[in-house]
Amino acid sequence: MDFITTLFPWITNGSLIMIQVMSGLSVGMFLFLVSVGMSLIFGVTRVVNLAHGSFYMVGAYMMVSLVEFLPERWWGFWLALLLAPIGVALLGGVVEVALLRRIYHRDPLMQLILTFGLILVVSTLVLLVWGPDNKSVERPEALAGSVTLFGQFFPSYYLLVLVLAPLVAVGMWMVFYRTRWGMLIRAATVDREMLGALGVNVAALYTQVFVFGSWLAGLGGALAAPTVAVALGMDSDVLVNAFVVVVVGGLGSFAGSFISAVLVGVLQSFGILIFPAISIVLLFAVMAVVLIVRPWGLLGRPEEH
Amino acid sequence: MARVALLAIVAALAAAPLALPPFFLQLLTEIAIAGLFATAFNLLMGYGGMVSFGHAAYFALGAYASALLVKKAGLPMLLALPAAPVLAALGALVFGVFIVRLTATYFAMLSLAFGQIVFTVIFKWKSLTGGDDGILGLWPPEWLKSPAAYYYFTVTVVALALLALRAIVDSPFGSALKAVRENPRRARYIGIDVRRHQLMAFVISGFFSGLAGGLFAFYNGSVFPDFAFFTKSFEPLVVTLLGGVGSFFGPLVGAFGFKLLEWLISREWPVYWPLVLGSVVIAVVILLPRGFVGLAGGRLWTRAARQG
Repeated sequence: MDFITTLFPWITNGSLIMIQVMSGLSVGMFLFLVSVGMSLIFGVTRVVNLAHGSFYMVGAYMMVSLVEFLPERWWGFWLALLLAPIGVALLGGVVEVALLRRIYHRDPLMQLILTFGLILVVSTLVLLVWGPDNKSVERPEALAGSVTLFGQFFPSYYLLVLVLAPLVAVGMWMVFYRTRWGMLIRAATVDREMLGALGVNVAALYTQVFVFGSWLAGLGGALAAPTVAVALGMDSDVLVNAFVVVVVGGLGSFAGSFISAVLVGVLQSFGILIFPAISIVLLFAVMAVVLIVRPWGLLGRPEEH
Repeated sequence: MARVALLAIVAALAAAPLALPPFFLQLLTEIAIAGLFATAFNLLMGYGGMVSFGHAAYFALGAYASALLVKKAGLPMLLALPAAPVLAALGALVFGVFIVRLTATYFAMLSLAFGQIVFTVIFKWKSLTGGDDGILGLWPPEWLKSPAAYYYFTVTVVALALLALRAIVDSPFGSALKAVRENPRRARYIGIDVRRHQLMAFVISGFFSGLAGGLFAFYNGSVFPDFAFFTKSFEPLVVTLLGGVGSFFGPLVGAFGFKLLEWLISREWPVYWPLVLGSVVIAVVILLPRGFVGLAGGRLWTRAARQG
C-alpha cells in the first residue's frame, strides 16, 4: 500500500480524484457532442465524414465572429451560441447536396477520400476568411469565474457543457425513440434499401441527417470556443479525438458514443495525472485494442457481408 | 515500342543534370521518392485491394531509423539507409498482423489508429526523437552532397526498388494477391492463405515506404514528427488516385503531376495549395473514378457506359 501511495500520491486525495472525474466528464461531454454527429451520419449514410472536425472548427470561428459582431449585451453570447451551429448546419447541407449525394453508391474508400479533400478545402477557406492568428472568445459574465467543488476550484463555464450535452443526449433519445422521423432514422441504419422500397424518401432523409450531424459539430465547436484558442489546427485535433470515441463506442451507435465519450474523457483526464507523457498514446492503444477485439466497437453492430 | 520508350526515359533521366538547373533536380528527386512511396502504397491498394490510411507511419519509421542511426550511433549515411526499410517492415509486420484481420472501412481505421500511435510516440518521446524539433543536420557524405549526385543516387535506388516491386507484382505471389483482391472466398477455396498473403503484401509495402522515408530524410536534411501525421498518409493515396489505381506506373505518373502542381502553385500562392489539392481530389473522386491514367486509357468511358 505504501508503494502505491508513493507512486501515486494523489490516490488518497479524494477531492482531487473527484475533480479529475468532473473535468474528465466535461471533456467527455465535448467529445460526445462532436462524435455523436459523426456516428449518426455514419449510421444512416455509411459515410465516415472526415471533415466533421472541420465543421467543428468552423463552428468555433463563427462563434468568434458572431460574439464580435453582436452588441455587447448579456444575451450576445447566447444568441451567438444559437446562431453559430445553425450556420454550420447550413454549410453541411450545401456539402451534402453538392458533393456527398453523388457518391453514396460508390466505394466507401472513395467517400473517405472525398471528405479528406474537404478537410483541405475548409481549412484553407477558414485561413482566408479569418486569417492565421489565434482567436479567443470571452466567457459570458455569469460563467466567467469558478465554483468550489469538493474543496477544489472548478471553472463554472464547464458546468454549462455538463448540463447542455446531457440535455442534447436526452433530446436526441426522445427524437429517435418517440418521433416518426427518429423511427425512420433507426430504420435507415438497419436497412436502407428496404426503407426506400417502402416509399420513404431516403435521399431527403440523408440530407436531414447530415445537416443535423453538422449542427452538432457546430454546437460542439461554438461551445468549446471560450475554452480553447480558436486556431487552424483544431480540426485535426478534434477529428482524431472524435474518431477514437466513435470507433470505441461503435460506428452508428448513439449510446455507444455517449458511453465511450465519457470513458475517453475520464481516461484522458486521469492519464494526464498518472502517465503525463503517454496519455495520448494510451488513448490510441485503447482504440487499437477495441478494434482488434471488437472491430465494430463496444456497442456497434458487426459489418454486413 | 515499350522498350524504346523506356530507353528514352532512362536517357532523359541520365541527361537531366546536364540540362536542368539544380532546383529541378531536387524536384525530380522529390518526385522519385514520392513515386516510390505511392507505388509501395499501390501494392496494397491496387493489387491487394487494401487501403491503408496510416502509411505515413512506415515512411516516418524509415526516416527516423536512418536519422537516429546517424545522430545517435554515428553511422555514415550508406550504412544507416538500409535500416530504414528494415525497421519500417518490422513495424508493418507488428501492426499488419492485426490490421489485415479487418476489411474495408475497419481496415482503414485500424491502420489510421496505428499510424497515430507512431506519430504520438515520435512526438512525445523527446529524449530520443527530439519531439517537435525533429532531428536536424542529416546530410549525405561529401561525394553525394550536390543536387546532381543525390539525384543520381535517388533515381538509381528508386529504379532498383521499382524493378523489385514489378518482379513481385509479376510473380505467382502477385497473381495470388490479385486473386485475393478479386474474391477472398474463392481464393481461400483454391488453397491460398488469404491473411498470409495480405500480411506479406503489407510488410513489403511497409518495407518500400520505409526506404522512401530514408531517402527523403537525407534529401531533406532533417526529419519531423509530421512525417507520421495522418494528413501525410493521404499523400500516397492522392498520388495513386491521380495516377490511376489500376496500373503499375500510375502512381509514378501521379507523383509527377502532384509534385509539379505543388511546385507551380506553392511558388506563387502557397496559401492556396491545400485548397487546390482538396478541390482536385474532390473533382477526381466525383468525375474520374479511375484517375488520369484511366482517363488516358479510355477505360473510364466503358466503365461509365456499363454503369449508365
